[in-house]
Amino acid sequence: MSKGRRGDKPPEFRPGTWLLGTGPDNDIAICTRVRLARNLQGFAFAPCLQEAESTKLYEFVTSRLKQAPLPDKLAVVDLAPVDELERSVLVERHLISRELAASKRPSGVAVDPEESVAVMINEEDHLRVQVFAPGLQPEAAWRHAERLDDALIQRLPIAWSEEFGFLTSCPTNTGTGLRLSVMLHLPGLVWSEEIDKATNTAQKIHLAVRGLYGEGSRALGDFYQVSNQVTLGRDEVTIQNDVLLAVGRLVQWEREVRGALLRGSARVRTMDRVHRALGTLERAQILTSEEALGCLSAVRFGIESELLDGFEIAAVNRALLLSQPGHLQKHTRELLRPEERDQRRAQLLREVLGCAP
Amino acid sequence: MQYCTACQTAIATVVIMDLTNGSVTGSQHVCQACADQLGVGNVKPAKFSPEMLEDLLGGMKQARRPARTTEACPGCGLTPADFRQKGRLGCPRCYETFRTELIPLLQRIHEAQQHSGRLPGVVAAPPAVPDERSLSDVRKRLEDAVRGERYEEAARLRDELRKLERGQPT
Repeated sequence: MSKGRRGDKPPEFRPGTWLLGTGPDNDIAICTRVRLARNLQGFAFAPCLQEAESTKLYEFVTSRLKQAPLPDKLAVVDLAPVDELERSVLVERHLISRELAASKRPSGVAVDPEESVAVMINEEDHLRVQVFAPGLQPEAAWRHAERLDDALIQRLPIAWSEEFGFLTSCPTNTGTGLRLSVMLHLPGLVWSEEIDKATNTAQKIHLAVRGLYGEGSRALGDFYQVSNQVTLGRDEVTIQNDVLLAVGRLVQWEREVRGALLRGSARVRTMDRVHRALGTLERAQILTSEEALGCLSAVRFGIESELLDGFEIAAVNRALLLSQPGHLQKHTRELLRPEERDQRRAQLLREVLGCAP
Repeated sequence: MQYCTACQTAIATVVIMDLTNGSVTGSQHVCQACADQLGVGNVKPAKFSPEMLEDLLGGMKQARRPARTTEACPGCGLTPADFRQKGRLGCPRCYETFRTELIPLLQRIHEAQQHSGRLPGVVAAPPAVPDERSLSDVRKRLEDAVRGERYEEAARLRDELRKLERGQPT
């Protein structure tokens, strides 16, 4: 990542912190995210705000965020002039939620140059602070978020009570307002059909298992998000320990099934699946985003388990991002119909992975 | 020190008293093993129930929980019907307005009703509303003091509890 580009518009190919592919347990844990829900005293919660109040809140928050010095160098992106395509790019980069992208309220997002921090303004809560750390790093991500939260508390009249903690629009976030998620790549559990068992186990201990883009999204490309559900009555350290314990077990479980998929008679079937996926990426002329993500997941697994060589994880990560509709159209600089998109996707993925045209 | 009147070998640790019309008419000193055999080994010291404590304190405990909310939130105008239908709050003040309805909801979602974790700094002024956390803490200490027959301490804690309930600094 070039420091020289600080302040520039983020280049499309830069993966952002969530897709760096570094950090502890990065073969399975892609990224850790801390999300804090915060609201201001003296304003109704965002969904109940009248338009004039909503504008006032947005302006108040952005003016305070611009007051130096914050622990992170944040640039505020006002979403009002941002079109649908650019908004979907921000969603695909996990900088804003799908809800904020669809919102008509005055809203914005404050982002740092590394895309490790994104503070959504006027989402369901007045502020949704997000901090990303590559790999499995709940503690580091929390410490970063805590520093930023301290700075925000000094600048903004955050709503709280001793009894209920941080006050949020939805009671599911009341208390710490903390949602700690780890994004996991679990092809082993999916291929060996143990994923339902694994997700049920996680749910039993009050952890939510969701798809790549949060609530209601499907687990495309064998990517899952595991996060705490309880925010009240458990402090931040306990939540970290809960998530770390459960994710640690899932990571261990994934490693064991990956091992089994590479042994004995299973090995040739696994190799077949990985090479077929690579064959599709190398030769297919039309690729839906779902098929592309499935193939990229298999290739990623192939590289991690040394079944494939000559490919970099970084290239696969880049391909993962570019195969999504927003990034694809941004890259080709034109709005495409779905069938045109599938054709361009196939072509682009061949280029990114360095396959023959 | 007294030997068990039943087995005559072990030290007596349990006293069984005969009560007739409220006065002690006889007693037996037995050891734990014999008390178990007699089926009185599991007698536990009487636990102070909140009702007993309330009696003791002369009914100073008032009904602190507001009745079911019927008014809209003064902060944002959210009505109880809106809250029940959406399950969402309209503004920070709703937490106080709909407290009675909110607590069982929080219990269902989080299996908890009380925040644990970080808060934005220390409150500068003493809280104007009774502080539930200190209240329950003082109540517990008062209960312990009464149980331990430390009446001077209990009286002091009782005064503290009264002040806390009125929202005064202690």
